[in-house]
Amino acid sequence: MFFRPGRERKVMRKIYSGIFLLLITAFIMGMGKAPVVSKVYIRKFDNGHYQLIVNKRPYIIKGVCYSPRPIGKNHEFDWWSDPNKPWITDGRLMKAMGINTIRVYQTGQNPDDVKKVIRDLYNLYGIRVILGHWVGYWEYPCPLYGDKDFQDKIKKEVLDMVSLYKDEPGVLFWVLGNENNYSCWGHVNPWSSDDIDKEPDPQKQKIMRAKIYYSYINSIAKEIHALDPNHPVALGNGELIGLDIAAGACVDIDLIGCIIYRGKTFGNLFRSLKATFDKPVAIIEFGADAYDALLKKEDQNMQAFFLESQWRQIYQNLANDKEGVGNCLGGTIFEWTDEWWKYNESDPQGWGVHDTESNWSNGSYYFDITAPKNMNMNEEWFGIVALSDKIEDGINKRLPRKAYYVLREFWRNPYRKIKGQKPKWTYKAKKTEKIRGQKIELKSQP
Amino acid sequence: MKKFIVVSLLVLFAFSPVFAQEKAGVSSAAVTAEPAVANTASTASVASGNNKEFGVYSDKGARDNHYIPSGWMGDYGDIKLNDQSTDNPHSGKACIQFAYTAKKSQGQGWAGVYWQNPANNWGTKKGGFDLTGMTKLTFWARGAKGGEILQKFKVGGIGMGTKVTYPDSAEVEIGPIELTDTWKQYTINLAGKDLSYISGGFGWVATADLNPNGCIFYVDDIKFEADLDIKPEARKEEAMPFYVYADRATINNHFIPSGYMGDYSDIKCDAASKEDPYLGDSCIKIVYNNKVSQGSRWAGIYWQNPANNWGTVDRGFNLAKATKLTFWARGAKGGERIEEFKAGGIMGEFSDSDSGVIGPVVLNKEWTQYTIDLKGKDMSYIIGGFCWATNLDVNPEGATFYLDEIKYE
Repeated sequence: MFFRPGRERKVMRKIYSGIFLLLITAFIMGMGKAPVVSKVYIRKFDNGHYQLIVNKRPYIIKGVCYSPRPIGKNHEFDWWSDPNKPWITDGRLMKAMGINTIRVYQTGQNPDDVKKVIRDLYNLYGIRVILGHWVGYWEYPCPLYGDKDFQDKIKKEVLDMVSLYKDEPGVLFWVLGNENNYSCWGHVNPWSSDDIDKEPDPQKQKIMRAKIYYSYINSIAKEIHALDPNHPVALGNGELIGLDIAAGACVDIDLIGCIIYRGKTFGNLFRSLKATFDKPVAIIEFGADAYDALLKKEDQNMQAFFLESQWRQIYQNLANDKEGVGNCLGGTIFEWTDEWWKYNESDPQGWGVHDTESNWSNGSYYFDITAPKNMNMNEEWFGIVALSDKIEDGINKRLPRKAYYVLREFWRNPYRKIKGQKPKWTYKAKKTEKIRGQKIELKSQP
Repeated sequence: MKKFIVVSLLVLFAFSPVFAQEKAGVSSAAVTAEPAVANTASTASVASGNNKEFGVYSDKGARDNHYIPSGWMGDYGDIKLNDQSTDNPHSGKACIQFAYTAKKSQGQGWAGVYWQNPANNWGTKKGGFDLTGMTKLTFWARGAKGGEILQKFKVGGIGMGTKVTYPDSAEVEIGPIELTDTWKQYTINLAGKDLSYISGGFGWVATADLNPNGCIFYVDDIKFEADLDIKPEARKEEAMPFYVYADRATINNHFIPSGYMGDYSDIKCDAASKEDPYLGDSCIKIVYNNKVSQGSRWAGIYWQNPANNWGTVDRGFNLAKATKLTFWARGAKGGERIEEFKAGGIMGEFSDSDSGVIGPVVLNKEWTQYTIDLKGKDMSYIIGGFCWATNLDVNPEGATFYLDEIKYE
């Protein structure tokens, strides 16, 4: 075939254009397939305030702790592989409420299932996931943080998790541990080492344990940073206990994830943290139960009252609030749904019963603190969404409690309410609730 | 979170109140009842008719006496009342004389009297007054010798936080107060308080610790006033040092060891022990036995303000200037282990603003000073001034130990 010069140029131009279009198309298609990982980092302002940045934009964590275990199942149930996909229903409800984040304590056993959940929540609803690891807290017989083999084993588990999920666009950040610091104080899962045992002073023993633990967490944080530069690492700490020691031993963590149950207020938490360990904080576990242990009935108003008050304090301490400390990044409420197995976890019969017995006490939740023996905290009633024994879409029907709607309204316009310092509604004890309390034998003083 | 119950229970030993009310231990038989002079059922505001004053007591039988000193509390057998004393009244023909013997007739170690309406009303009858518009209560008082210490004078508080049908709407206190031997006027600031229902118009409390030999004192001309110039009381920053406990019978003791926790029946607390005090003439002796009376296997005491306040009463001290709390301690044998000494940390409707903790501490047989570091803490609102807690796992035989000179600095 012969072409004239002019026609030849025209043909060549068409060929080049075609090749160019093909390359563009291939590039675009390629981009669609490759994961686009959000760069998540924490910005520090000149005034010392902190802000979480996701995809170059400020991000307030409006989250819930998520453990969607159905009625009749306990903590061993691997909900990640639940064929009924409860996160689809839950994600829709969460998005409607304004939730943008869930926190999970530990990933499931099957990585493909975990990725599926993360992707579904992110792609369908834009909800991101805070992924946690227990860091050996529940290892038998105890978390031997002073033992090299134990350290290596647990560290490998954590780094495996990071490797598996660091490229998931829905991941927000990592949380190391959940109140593991209490083991250093001997309150839960006490552990020791030969060197610690040689120290006769029990106060010094605690400090030795804390230094070992926080240094170990720091070493994990450093390795995570080397592996994954795109996501911050949080220390999951019970209250502020031990953070004065962490300030010297755990400098490479990016933020503190605090577990706090102080009723309607976080008290001096933000200021105290600023003074002892100047890191940003996310309140990764807080909330209130929805059962009045004194009147022995569900009380959704009480739960909503505490939660709205807590969220107002979170917002008052976000970056660039004139009166707050500016070190708060947001929070994750404990928790999304009730968990019916928790009162007596060793009794499978009880997993299908919504127990009303309380098994711990907290005076900060003062409306029902005069319940018998002051046992006022009902572990199975912390959900802002209740579970029905009716099945809908293969899962227990979700029944949002009042807190769900109150927080939805709060998040729609949080600053307006802060300025006024008055919530739209307030919780008033009913007349019967005023007549509360029981006579407890006392050693009375004037 | 269930797995943190143990932690919560340990941490929250501070929150397991052994609630108390002053009326506990009160015998209604111990009342010098008088017929109620005033309207016993009205709750219409007394200020609605432009009343500038509303009397509690002016003279025996006076028409403007609206409350009756009928609510005898604590060691009521230690109280004698003369409501027509002519011994130098502040005004009129008579004043009220109280003699408190401190004999601990009912084993309480304290006693007090409420002016009630109607007589003997502990919140079970409708009888309080709506005092909205009143901004202060004033009264005159003097001691027979001078130096008598009243733990507190108060307005309201009857039935608050309990199951009664008609609880007072407010509770305001001042004290401790050291009386002089001449008449002096005292004021309880009520500005900003909810006075819509007050059945306990006035009251006083004295303790055996502060008056080991008893005391005689006088009160006169007690009345509510509508003073528009008085403003709600700002909580002042307390000067340092600020004592939790200095010695028995001193006005410097700002907190009361009233918050018994855990196996509370297994604790004996003597705040006037003479057994080798570190300083002064007395110290605190704690005896904790191993009977496990309440089944807890641990015990402790909170020093509170006011007594028995588990965050239910808005009465925290502003100790923002404090950078540490120091105290001296010794064990009877040495080796007694106290799991925690604590400053602050009471959580309730009115929570302490912060807390500081040390422990476990193994006590020496000799007096040793300990320090709770409060630097960086917010001690601007403290109800629980001091606390200790321990358990039988580390003290199988129980423990006897001593404390002295507990103070914020």
